[in-house]
Amino acid sequence: MAADQANRLASGGLIDRSASLNFRFDGKSFSGFKGDTLASALVANGVKLVGRSFKYHRPRGILTAGSEEPNALVELRSGARREPNTKATTAELYDGLEAASQNRWPSLNFDVMAVNQLFAPIFVAGFYYKTFMWPAKFWEAIYEPAIRRAAGLGRAAQVSDPDHYDKAWAHCDVVIAGSGPAGLAAALAAGRSGARVILCEEDFVPGGRLLADGGTIDGLPASEWVARTLAELAAMPDVRIMTRTTLFGVYDGGTYGAIERVNDHLPMPPEHQVRQRLWRIVAKRCVVAAGAIERPIVFAGNDTPGVMMASAMRSYISRYAATPAKRIALFTNNEDGWRTAETAIAAGLQVAAVIDARPDVSPAHRSLASKGGFPVLHGSVVGVNGGKNGVRKISVSLTGGARAEVEADGLAVSGGWNPAVGLTSYHRGRPKWRDDIAAFVPDGAPPGMVAAGAANGAFGLGACLREGFEAGAAAARDAGRSGNVGSMPVADDEAFSLTPLWHVAGKGKAFVDQQHDVTASDVELAQREGFESVEHLKRYTTLGMATDQGKTSNVAGLAIMAAVSGKSIPETGTTIYRPPYVPVAIGAFAGHHRDENFHATRLTPSHHWAAEQGAVFVDTGLWKRAQWYPRPGEKDWLESVTREVNAVRSGVGFCDVSTLGKIDVHGPDAGAFLDRVYINAFSSLPVGKARYGLMLREDGIVYDDGTTSRLAEDHYFLTTTTAKAGLVMQHLEFCRQVLFPELDVQLTSVSDQWAQFSIAGPKTRDLLREIVDPAEDLSNEGFPFMGAREVALRGGLKARLFRISFSGEMAFEISVPARYGEAMARNLMIAGKPFGVTPYGTEALGVMRVEKGHVAGPELNGTTTAGDLGLGKMMSTKKDFIGRVMAGREALVAPDRQVVVGIKPVDKARRLRSGAHIIPKGETPGPDNDRGYVTSVCFSPVLDQWIGLGLVERGRERIGEIVHAHDPLRGEDYDVELCNPVFYDPDGGRQRG
Amino acid sequence: MADFSWDVRSPLDRALVAGPYGAQGEAGVTLTEIRNFDLVQVMARRGKAGEMAKAAKTRFGVAAPDKPEAVGAADATLIWSGPDQFLVLSKGGKHTIEALGPIFAGSASLSDQSHARALISVSGEKARAMLAKLSSIDLHPDVFGVGAAAATSMDHTSVTLWRGADRGGQAAFNLLVFATFAESLWHTILDSAAEYGVTIGHSEEF
Repeated sequence: MAADQANRLASGGLIDRSASLNFRFDGKSFSGFKGDTLASALVANGVKLVGRSFKYHRPRGILTAGSEEPNALVELRSGARREPNTKATTAELYDGLEAASQNRWPSLNFDVMAVNQLFAPIFVAGFYYKTFMWPAKFWEAIYEPAIRRAAGLGRAAQVSDPDHYDKAWAHCDVVIAGSGPAGLAAALAAGRSGARVILCEEDFVPGGRLLADGGTIDGLPASEWVARTLAELAAMPDVRIMTRTTLFGVYDGGTYGAIERVNDHLPMPPEHQVRQRLWRIVAKRCVVAAGAIERPIVFAGNDTPGVMMASAMRSYISRYAATPAKRIALFTNNEDGWRTAETAIAAGLQVAAVIDARPDVSPAHRSLASKGGFPVLHGSVVGVNGGKNGVRKISVSLTGGARAEVEADGLAVSGGWNPAVGLTSYHRGRPKWRDDIAAFVPDGAPPGMVAAGAANGAFGLGACLREGFEAGAAAARDAGRSGNVGSMPVADDEAFSLTPLWHVAGKGKAFVDQQHDVTASDVELAQREGFESVEHLKRYTTLGMATDQGKTSNVAGLAIMAAVSGKSIPETGTTIYRPPYVPVAIGAFAGHHRDENFHATRLTPSHHWAAEQGAVFVDTGLWKRAQWYPRPGEKDWLESVTREVNAVRSGVGFCDVSTLGKIDVHGPDAGAFLDRVYINAFSSLPVGKARYGLMLREDGIVYDDGTTSRLAEDHYFLTTTTAKAGLVMQHLEFCRQVLFPELDVQLTSVSDQWAQFSIAGPKTRDLLREIVDPAEDLSNEGFPFMGAREVALRGGLKARLFRISFSGEMAFEISVPARYGEAMARNLMIAGKPFGVTPYGTEALGVMRVEKGHVAGPELNGTTTAGDLGLGKMMSTKKDFIGRVMAGREALVAPDRQVVVGIKPVDKARRLRSGAHIIPKGETPGPDNDRGYVTSVCFSPVLDQWIGLGLVERGRERIGEIVHAHDPLRGEDYDVELCNPVFYDPDGGRQRG
Repeated sequence: MADFSWDVRSPLDRALVAGPYGAQGEAGVTLTEIRNFDLVQVMARRGKAGEMAKAAKTRFGVAAPDKPEAVGAADATLIWSGPDQFLVLSKGGKHTIEALGPIFAGSASLSDQSHARALISVSGEKARAMLAKLSSIDLHPDVFGVGAAAATSMDHTSVTLWRGADRGGQAAFNLLVFATFAESLWHTILDSAAEYGVTIGHSEEF
């Protein structure tokens, strides 16, 4: 049965006592209420020990009540949804919640690794660097795994996250971070001005510190003022309040990152809903009203469960009606800390003592002490007696040197407040030091951003409202909104007096960074060893590098460094602030883009038909292409591919080649334009003809190739390779708009407009005669090699027919508007049935192009010239073209360049593999003797052996030479013969016949 | 020898399953694929933008757009697609590239895009919320009014997005996506819309 919430106050708090929620922590059942966090529910149930520390496995409790929490980290949920390092202080309680403590074995109560504490003297800063240096090879194999087992936090789920995440954009005039008094006042002013406002609040309830600390605003209790304000804002259609949403970063151009925990407060997201959503908010202005974080004082035993930030203790008592202790001691160096004593007394709790480090205490607080019957001790806490079950006794060093002991089961600590300067500093801003509050405050901010209220160092309630309201009004005005802002909410300002105190010297470990187990003596050690710069301090000690990013520890750490190095705190300075403000799950950044949706995909017009045929698809860029079409009984891909090649070479086959880039080039100067982008001439191409073209980059290296057809005087149809389709379009647009604006030419991508199929094989004409209108002359005379024109098809459709061949066979490419693509595939099957038509995939296409010695991607690899590819003669000498001059550079025309050559194994039975290096026979493989490499290989069904293409130094002069193929990657060495790259039908009779 | 049948198949033919999708209850998003349309890219020839605009005015009775907007004519929509260029979208057969050829002869180059795009209409109470997951464009009614258009991207896919006439008192957005990307984007749209409940359909009508 669930335990009984013994530490819950009988009344009060922003919890719904009618909604009881059951949960389990480390297997034990508890109950809490709606409105609780996991931490507040644990407090209500008297649980003090919630985790073990990172390095020393020390018992740890709950330190804070917010997202700055360093200690109370748990594994939330189980199985695939297990989330390590979840802050109990922000995890909203839900019925059935399961959480487990971390970094302990076998149990939280009895942790074997706590033995680490005995070795604490050696586990100091830099311990790893000093200890595990030798032997170096032990690091990966032995030291690191052992350390990772011993130190660390929660365990990742290790299986795929079953939940969905998404990303969304939002736009507004003013985005506000934080819904405390400053944020709400800013929203009021901006909203009333007519601005579009987004207010982000990381908590699940708006109100910020007002939820715990109350106050009087406009004569109303804070809770009523918050309700009234929220109602006013809700009535404004362009004001959006986003709770459970943390504004975590600011990026260029007024773009902000925010993470919305849409369904983290439920066991699992409802069907069709996401767990978290990443927002990119585009805002003209930003008001940072993110408040301040109370800072600890570093003293011996300050990590004992039961030691808690004073403001957190107030939150648990006031907001959650949960009492962290029965008899509370307070250690403060400022006026604000005293509120905790007031809250404790109001809740009927006992105050054991207030230890105030300041010389004076206000008369009001003196009288509070006498009324409450507790002593005010001037001095500092120097030690805490207690352990995993909490605080028992507190040792105090009194001003003047005497000692006192205070019996208490909880110790509230307030060292003052640090404005949350993260967002304002994310563009490399450095906050500035203010002596009056002994804290860093924003010093400027990214463009359009301003801090207000506690985030700006204004701690009084009245000041927060004033700054927030003014910032909201100004932001709206700057965004061009000029509505009436109405009256400003008003409240009194509390006194704020503080005597800085960072560290109390004493015996025992005094923790600065509790999450990373960095102590005050580690900071001192870093200084002694020369790591005095705050950036070095951070990396040497790991101070501030845990998941809490040192929200409660950074300033204390650098203050201690300042003291030991004899510098002031502003001289010591801060480390660089970087987003995100709170950890953001990678899943949220990925959103929809995971698994099969990792990137967008493109489907060819005949895709679904090919899928019906059982095609195996391959990813080529974004495309899914049919790679081969296996048939029953075929034992591997090679058998299928070989069948497809043989079918084409002996009969007829077809392949969807719609993935090629296709560009309409229009205009009176289209021919002149193509003359400049291709190395060969196109203005001389007659209408009705196609020509193979090669284009170079500016530097003379080959860029892309393809056939271009002239369909009309002022209309060319240009094709590119699949891989370069988008890049060539960009390149041509650049040429058109920037290089040759004087030419009258227009470009349009028509890649998606046309379904294009290659039909190849000696029976191609037979097939086409079935499907093409009988009036069309397909004879060699009527439709010669490299002819291109529109033809009528049976059934009334018009198609474009191009007599071009990549396979070396008699071949045509036929294209129809894309929505007819699937019908075309089906009709080709019907028309070709008498001739045994065979659909073939990209593998067979590749085999036939290697057999034919055609270059493709592996040879057009960004290092080769036209000459290297054996296409040097295509370079026109009669005209200028892009890349011409640079292609003439000495190195690009050197006789010893690696050029395309054919390769076949001396042992006909041997398989070739791409990537093998070419070494002269008898020489030792190595960089000095490397003469090139194998670029493309295939099994040639025609030659019944493996063949390949390669780039080999002086390759054309060496045809017939036996060289050595050295493949260290696969451990293969064998002899190959360099040969003519055209293995099949070298005189081209088949494709012209 | 029988004639061959040439069935037209939209790029969303397989992916689109008409009916309800996602969360139950009243659908927040209505997705309608428009299947029968002609789409022609019109690009002015060098120095002929004025003549092109005049020809467009004569043919359609409205001025061709010269900024990012979609201009509705009696039986066509002219959508800005860049400086001195626009798309003519019309119900299939109304303004084919063959019909427009003589109109723009000498003033503009035409390129048929009728098969190069899929046309999806998005409406419903949650249309903006759903599109905010896909598009970085601010669709607030004060910013993106009826007739506003954008050449932008969704899910790393180029799209033309414009706001058409309101439908049943709700804003309606149209998007043209490249045909080969259409199925992929469609799945992303469904994924984004599922939480609002979706009504899916297709139509030959605009």
